[in-house]
Amino acid sequence: MSDGPKKIINKITKGFAKHGYICSDQISTAVYLASELEKPILIEGPPGVGKTELANTAAMYFKKELIRLQCYEGLDESKALYEWRYGKQLLYTQILKEQMQEVLEGAKGLRESLGRLMKFEDIFFSEDFLETRPLLQALTSDKGSVLLIDEVDKSDEEFEALLLEILSEFQISIPELGVRVAKVKPLVMLTSNNSREIGDALKRRCLHLYIPFPDAKLERQIVQARVPEISESMQIQLVNFVQGIRELDLKKQPAISETIDWAKTLILLNSEELEAKLAEETLNILLKHQQDIEVVKKEIPALISSATETSDGKSIN
Amino acid sequence: MEKVLTDFVKALRNSNVRVSPAETLDAMSVIDEVGYDDRDLLKRSLSIVLPKTPDEKQKFDTCFDDFFSDEIKEQVPVTLKELNDIEDVKSDLAKTLLEGSQAELMISIADAAEASEIREIRYFTQRSVFSRRILEKMGVGKLEDELMQIGSLREEDIPTDLEQELRNQLTGLRERVSDYVQQQFLLHGDVSGEQLREQVFKSMNMSQIDRSYMHEVHSLVRRMAKKLANLHSRRKKNYRRGKLDIRKTIRENWANQGVLFNLSWSYKKVDRPKIYVICDVSGSVGAYARFMLMFLFSLTEVVSKLRAFVFSSNLGEVTDEFKDSNLDAAIETALQKHGGGSTDYGQALTDFVSLCIDEIDKKTTVVILGDARNNFGPEKAHLMKIINERSKQVFWLNPEGKYRWDSGDSVMTTYSAYCTKVFQCGNIEQLERVISTLLKTAI
Repeated sequence: MSDGPKKIINKITKGFAKHGYICSDQISTAVYLASELEKPILIEGPPGVGKTELANTAAMYFKKELIRLQCYEGLDESKALYEWRYGKQLLYTQILKEQMQEVLEGAKGLRESLGRLMKFEDIFFSEDFLETRPLLQALTSDKGSVLLIDEVDKSDEEFEALLLEILSEFQISIPELGVRVAKVKPLVMLTSNNSREIGDALKRRCLHLYIPFPDAKLERQIVQARVPEISESMQIQLVNFVQGIRELDLKKQPAISETIDWAKTLILLNSEELEAKLAEETLNILLKHQQDIEVVKKEIPALISSATETSDGKSIN
Repeated sequence: MEKVLTDFVKALRNSNVRVSPAETLDAMSVIDEVGYDDRDLLKRSLSIVLPKTPDEKQKFDTCFDDFFSDEIKEQVPVTLKELNDIEDVKSDLAKTLLEGSQAELMISIADAAEASEIREIRYFTQRSVFSRRILEKMGVGKLEDELMQIGSLREEDIPTDLEQELRNQLTGLRERVSDYVQQQFLLHGDVSGEQLREQVFKSMNMSQIDRSYMHEVHSLVRRMAKKLANLHSRRKKNYRRGKLDIRKTIRENWANQGVLFNLSWSYKKVDRPKIYVICDVSGSVGAYARFMLMFLFSLTEVVSKLRAFVFSSNLGEVTDEFKDSNLDAAIETALQKHGGGSTDYGQALTDFVSLCIDEIDKKTTVVILGDARNNFGPEKAHLMKIINERSKQVFWLNPEGKYRWDSGDSVMTTYSAYCTKVFQCGNIEQLERVISTLLKTAI
């Protein structure tokens, strides 16, 4: 016991911040536990709250290679686990036929031929013809890796079942070769947007982290880290404005990535203050549905006045 | 310390967070990492291991706060200095209160609780009953009598120190016991009351369930429908076209000296049930109509190839409305457009046949929800015959009890002759059974 868990968690928070990822205590606790207990984390949350980014940052923080597997419907083991190099395998059978003559030359009787044939090395199913895919790569990596299985909810249920062995035992069974166990256990992160309910079996094997939209304080820190050139008053107004929008009834709430994009846009347009006209013109960066834009447009004056009001209050304090 | 965790897991399960034994083990190793010292850290860490949905996380939060609330309150320390009057105190409880240690008191509470069968506590309304029982078992009655006596003996209006002290102690004890009961309730009771409600809903006749509970019933029905649909919609057939499955092909042709002779295809067809549902929403099934529509709505949510029709006399399709809007709106529109009129099965069948008889094939299941009360109108049973002949199967779900079929204007027997199967479907349990049969055979 060199460091208490609290210290390590703080270290993770700071280390992540250095790589530009501002995280809440909840997130850093999850990363800490995942690396200590060597368990995969299932990360859920609305789109754009930085689920994928978390894995990227974790890879940078732990100085490990990031191996990413993007899931989609129809993803199967030949794309995720391993594949045989069929072309070469077929060529091998051709060569084998020619070689056969040499091997069997001078053999007397069937028994002897058979004996020679048995001694002959068979490499049809061997590492030589094995093409590794992301999951197997993550297991065979010598230095350990961060394995990101992105949007696991997009894949089929069969694929989920395929993951179970890897997630609980960190091993893959290849029928032709036997079980491949991880040299160094990778840090596994799965993300999901909840477009489909993830099975209980998978959930049970994972730690579960839910990343919600950040509160105003955290979001301000994130904007500050990602868009450092923004002025403080602008940053406060902007975040308050976005937080206000999230309280409206919208089809798709603006996420952190959208807030950052918007902040960058406003910097590009050289604006110092959040004005109604400007906000209205650039609203399409924040919102992706025309209906949402219509809803928010009506609320702009109120949102801006409350955003600037609270920012004034803050600056007095 | 492990007992604390297992108790907490038990409390979590009671508030409807599903925790498996494996997860409990995980939680244990988490506690080995972080320890019990830091409450915030413990909460954050456990919330990563135990609850696995946002909904469960919320329940976890409240449950954690309740369970690890700052321990049970300490008994008010005895302030009375000279305990020379203590000889006068007669009842045992008073003696324990004045002389006994905290631990002794705790043990006697626990004993009394055990004796009053606190494990049997189920509902939050029982808390006060159990508190009172425990206090009685501890001998509060005697103490109170004694207090009365002391009160009646004194000359002045001001209570003596001893009396005052005893009263303070008694109030403290009451609080302690009620805290204790609250904790036990978290452990043993049905904290959210959900289990009870679901149980009741399941066996209650659908027309009897109050409309205000509709959403809870809906979530129940939906969960059921989803589970069943998942279970039955994954039958696959290998097809002789699409993408070549190279791995399998080579594997199978390895014996032919690597000449690809037999081809295997990777494309698999998922069979999903194709279901047509016709729902009666006329006046005679008024009480049931909402629940039948709810059932219909839940089905459209989980089965993709489903078309929904409703009728009183004239039949109309509501598939799109159901797919696009939420439950309340969907049911309201369906009832407004088609509901409440007098029933005419003959007309409805005519409409149905003219609307989509061509689409009904041997893979289609037709489900009719209704009481078959036809107002003595023309039955047009020959249309049922046509539907039956063209489709794979026809199911009829009747919300009325079997004893009422064919009574009055009900023509159930006439129609049931052309049905593959007829079910009585008055409560949710029956509904569950029906859906299961339906999805199993509809493929």
